[in-house]
Amino acid sequence: MVGPLIPMGVIPEAWNNVIALLLGAGFGFTLEASGFSSSRKIMGTFFGYDFVVLRVFFTAAVTAMTGIIYFDYMGWMDASMLYINPYYVMSAIVGGIIMGLGFALGGFCPGTSFCGVAIGKIDALFFTTGLFLGVFIFSELYPLFDKLYNGQDIGGAKIYDLLGMRQNVFAFLLIIAAVGMFYFAGFVEKKVKKVEY
Amino acid sequence: MNKRYLFLAAIVILLGVGMLFMPNSNDNKQVSPELLLSAIDDPSRFLTTDDITDRLVKKDPALLLLDVRPAEAFKSFSIPGSVNLPADSLLTASAMEMLKQDAKDKVFCSNSDVTADQAWIICKRLGLNRIYVMQGGINQWFNTIVKAAKPAESASSKTIELYQFRVAACQHFYGSPEMATASKAEVKKTVTVVKKASGAASGGGC
Repeated sequence: MVGPLIPMGVIPEAWNNVIALLLGAGFGFTLEASGFSSSRKIMGTFFGYDFVVLRVFFTAAVTAMTGIIYFDYMGWMDASMLYINPYYVMSAIVGGIIMGLGFALGGFCPGTSFCGVAIGKIDALFFTTGLFLGVFIFSELYPLFDKLYNGQDIGGAKIYDLLGMRQNVFAFLLIIAAVGMFYFAGFVEKKVKKVEY
Repeated sequence: MNKRYLFLAAIVILLGVGMLFMPNSNDNKQVSPELLLSAIDDPSRFLTTDDITDRLVKKDPALLLLDVRPAEAFKSFSIPGSVNLPADSLLTASAMEMLKQDAKDKVFCSNSDVTADQAWIICKRLGLNRIYVMQGGINQWFNTIVKAAKPAESASSKTIELYQFRVAACQHFYGSPEMATASKAEVKKTVTVVKKASGAASGGGC
């Protein structure tokens, strides 16, 4: 899991799960510390009183992207060796809609719901129960969804290739869009009535 | 607005502008290091001089013997039937076209097999197929084919057969071994001493 240190034998294979556990705990702690275990905070994005989710995700995306591009340029890493998830067009769209609906209704995404469970939130407990129920139903009815699930695979597609753009031009535009969005979010937050939670 | 946010936004925008001036990331495709290492370990890329000679004599159309030495060295001596492709022009478009012929066995040769092996590694990294190295290089070829050592009379029939093959191949290429060495022999400079005529320079001195 932790490449390239484990596949290259720098860290023994047996440490794989230990490192995974530590990384997971760190991730959960950061989520909780940033207030992501609160469904009200997450819902703020939809109602316009708290855009911290948008800020966190776009900051993470822009930081990682900038890091990868500069590291690749310096020769410290080989970006072409990165694994890119295959893109199944239809299942991404349908899955995105279902996930978005659940997100808006429940106020959690899968990761934050476990964070909520960890600190004993009852709504998070209900959410994760529903999550497992959904997993169970999907597994049982898998033959029905098989075509949708595995259809229209266009491989590790990259958005700038699909748009016919240079990678770095797209990265620059994304940074501008992110900064613009941060500014706009701050503007909306000021206009909307503060919600105490 | 918080000054810290403005500062961070300025940094990220600056980094973004920096990206615009970066050259396109080079998507040079090359084989994985593991594959290259196992290929380097595999001695099957080496072909013997006898094998190459046999194919040259038979005019094997699938053989492409590439001499990677500089053009001057190629001009002074080369294996008949070899093509000059200096190592420094290995990556030119015309050379690539020649190397990408899938139906041919591309065999590199140089004086020893060092430069040829380097050329082989470059081509292997590019993922080219059917590339080989002539073991021992042109020196080995010269010593075994042109200057074939006569085996002892008690040698096995196989050794004698090989010797006869080498002599026949040399005759095929040059007529006789002397002809091959003749082209390499240096023309001796004869130095003629011109003696000064005595008294010629001292005309009219004091």
